[in-house]
Amino acid sequence: MSIEVLTLLFFGSLLFFVFLGLPLAFVLGGVSVIFLYFTWGVGSFYMVASQIWSTMGSFTLVAIPLFVFMAMILERTGVAKDLYRAMHLWFGGLRGGLAIGTLFICAIFAAMVGISGAAVVAMGTIALPAMMERGYDRSMCLGVINTGGGWGILIPPSIMMILYALISGVSVGKMFAAGILPGILLMVLTAIYILVRSSLQPHLAPALPPEDRGTMREKLLALRSVALPILIVIMVLGSIMGGITTPTEAAAMGVLGALIAAAVYRKLEFGLLKEASIRTFKLTGMIMWILFAAHAFSAAYQSMGAQPMIEGWMASIPGGPWGVIIAMMLITFVLGMVLDPVGIMLITLPVFLPIVESLGFDPIWFGILFVINMEIGYMTPPFGFNLFYLKGIVPPGITMKDIYKSVIPFVLVEIVGLILLMIFPEIVTYLPNLFF
Amino acid sequence: MRAITAFMNGVTRLNKAIGVAVSFLVFAMFVFILLEVFLRYAFNSPTMWTNELTQLMFGAYAVLSGGYLMAHRGHVNVDLIQSFLGTRMQAAVDVFTSILFFLFTLALLYFSFEMASKSISSWETSYSAWNPPIWPIKACIPIGTALLLLQGIVKLLEDIAIACNLSYYRPEDHSEHDPKGEQL
Amino acid sequence: QEETFTWKVQSHWPGASSSYEDSLGRLKEQLEERSDGRLELQLFEAGSLFSAKETYNAVSRGILEMGTISPAYASNEMTLAGIASGLPFAFRNVWEAAYFHQVLGFEEMLREEAAEDGVYWATDKVYPTEMVVKEPVDSLEEFKSLKIRSSGALQKFLTEAGAAASYIPGGELYTALDSGIVDGAHWGAAQGAYSMGLYEIAKYHVQPALNIAGTDVIIVSQKAMDELPEDLQKLVKDVLKEQFWFRTNEYLYKERITLAKAIDEMGVEVTTLPPEVQDHLVQTAQSMWDEEGERSDKAAEALAMLKDYLGDLGYL
Ligand code: NA
Ligand code: NA
Repeated sequence: MSIEVLTLLFFGSLLFFVFLGLPLAFVLGGVSVIFLYFTWGVGSFYMVASQIWSTMGSFTLVAIPLFVFMAMILERTGVAKDLYRAMHLWFGGLRGGLAIGTLFICAIFAAMVGISGAAVVAMGTIALPAMMERGYDRSMCLGVINTGGGWGILIPPSIMMILYALISGVSVGKMFAAGILPGILLMVLTAIYILVRSSLQPHLAPALPPEDRGTMREKLLALRSVALPILIVIMVLGSIMGGITTPTEAAAMGVLGALIAAAVYRKLEFGLLKEASIRTFKLTGMIMWILFAAHAFSAAYQSMGAQPMIEGWMASIPGGPWGVIIAMMLITFVLGMVLDPVGIMLITLPVFLPIVESLGFDPIWFGILFVINMEIGYMTPPFGFNLFYLKGIVPPGITMKDIYKSVIPFVLVEIVGLILLMIFPEIVTYLPNLFF
Repeated sequence: MRAITAFMNGVTRLNKAIGVAVSFLVFAMFVFILLEVFLRYAFNSPTMWTNELTQLMFGAYAVLSGGYLMAHRGHVNVDLIQSFLGTRMQAAVDVFTSILFFLFTLALLYFSFEMASKSISSWETSYSAWNPPIWPIKACIPIGTALLLLQGIVKLLEDIAIACNLSYYRPEDHSEHDPKGEQL
Repeated sequence: QEETFTWKVQSHWPGASSSYEDSLGRLKEQLEERSDGRLELQLFEAGSLFSAKETYNAVSRGILEMGTISPAYASNEMTLAGIASGLPFAFRNVWEAAYFHQVLGFEEMLREEAAEDGVYWATDKVYPTEMVVKEPVDSLEEFKSLKIRSSGALQKFLTEAGAAASYIPGGELYTALDSGIVDGAHWGAAQGAYSMGLYEIAKYHVQPALNIAGTDVIIVSQKAMDELPEDLQKLVKDVLKEQFWFRTNEYLYKERITLAKAIDEMGVEVTTLPPEVQDHLVQTAQSMWDEEGERSDKAAEALAMLKDYLGDLGYL
């Protein structure tokens, strides 16, 4: 059987079982086992166990439970709630103000985490209840968190950019610098979308009625509640930038900050911590079992010869250099929905990079497009992992259909951003050329 | 019939108890990473063991979560067709798709058991600078998988009961909800 | 019509690493050409199918026909792994390590021990491991205040020598070195440091080498080997033997070229550790060697052979 047919069957059976309602982790794992049986034999199932063991040994993933734990403490102590109250008093007059504030917090969070997954779950915990309580439309809330939560890999530090730099041989520092303006661009575009949409349909993101906006005194008093979150941000970002911790270790600083905040709120008690740790366990376990299965799935797909297949495709793409670039974007985007980032990079980059360079494109520019594409893949139905992570934290009333629908406009906005970066590559290359 | 119900409740209780116990590891991971940062930054004397110990705890933490999550319906899925099918049909569909679940967990159980027995037979250590035993963590893979598999069997029995309207399982028996609406 | 064989080969090198092309690419080309296409290699980058630490097991089980590893990844299965992956401050030149492996018989000892697991062991090359640091080391005191990213046996060695050695995963190494969490690191030598971008932020390349050893190994599943006809089996073994000499030499050449490029393009400076530091490191190292000899009779034999040899060379 050719790899093209296998690919169709592979993805087709994923789609089939996911829609029948089997949890994503078991679909990925089960489909891998079936295909390994037919292509490589029973002995190769050892690979599934071996991939799980390797995933358990990945130190950067330790940041996931820590960041999630931090978010749980902030939510249960009321720190997050007060933060949103302050935001609401200050920006509540603006339609969509809270959503834009959430985007901003997401961007800060993205600067604190280097991996995807942790951000979506943590921001969802903090922001979703706070926004929905204030009458924001469920689709708006879900879309904002999905988008902002994905920025963790675009805004430095980013494990993925480091991996890209290592594989492509470009400077890590330049990659980091290159990610900053595109990150800001995506943020601005998303904010514009929110403003336009909420002025057209005010019920999606209602403004705070004038009588509730509080006096200046109330506003200033509310600012006190911003101090603790800022302290945490300083602790985490400061220890990364100041050479005190690696990005992974910085997650522990975040937990320390959250515990200090809980103490200030006089909520540092066993019951609350126990509950936070159990919820953290549940959410981390959800992410980890998806990753376990996704790594097995990636390995199974690679063993069937995914890379030579893509190599073959690239040789026959019409449309000149830009046709090739767009085809690469599409492949990354589709793989971004089902494979883990490392798997995508291993399969595609060795094929893509020589072509990109021979066509005369800047590998740093391509790298940023690549990372954004993966990020969009993560938030795109039907398989985008972030959608599933989000599903893990929403209240029972919200279905996967709601989540699917909510992301569509936001995906379109990100694609607009991607096109802008293709038309104006200077947005990517300006800062790295300036700094280095 | 009684035996089936007892088995189902027993497995679920076991998984919940293990989950609660394991969940506390997050405190230990936090403390050890902080300790390492502190020793390295303040005393210029990083240890050889804190990060590796944290890593090992994380491995156990992650892999032992499978059964607990299953007991709480924590493995996320797409619920698009549920509303069309209704509860009984969905249960029947779940019985069908569980084939994939069992293929995955059985393959994993068999091979991780082999992997772990080999590790235990040589009391495998990590051969890092600290060189701790890693066989207990490898052993967590078949244990975690077995817990998940058992809970999967419970889920299958539940689905069969719902689909066929059998009496050994009543879904309303243990509907539990977090007051805030999130299933814990 | 003769039967053709396709082998899956799991590398422990990322595709961007020079050794992926230079070692595995060369091996693939040689085997495919000289077998007239009867033996084909399907290459997989680091981590694609099995992680580096799992590759030995996969080859031993015959799931993979071939793989590349560092001996340290087979530590649990091979008592000689510690000596193979390099005792610190033992050899002073690459040719000494090459002679020890291929002429004095250490390679044969490794091959015998790996054969017990159904693995055919062939060292890819011997080469040095060297450090890069952000500030030059001028005294023992300065050495002892260093924070160094390290791993495995060298981490233990550097710690015993008084430096603050910690393990940081490859993905976070650049950031850690840049922000000053560590002041230095070793990742291979010049080519490794260059490929990881370390010279961007750490401008001092430190010599002498921390160790010189057969740190890259090609392993073949004995089961897969046995399935080949006699002539192909001989071809594989011959090509692997040539590979060692070819790659050891080529690697040294590329080290020098890369270092020259780093000096020229990035202003890197080569520094030598002061004699007091070197003496201290040699003393620390020698007190650690004996531990490796304690793992088995074979390891004790290999260590005795090494000590005799170093004595003959006038180093002990
Ligand atoms: Na980030
Ligand atoms: Na052995």
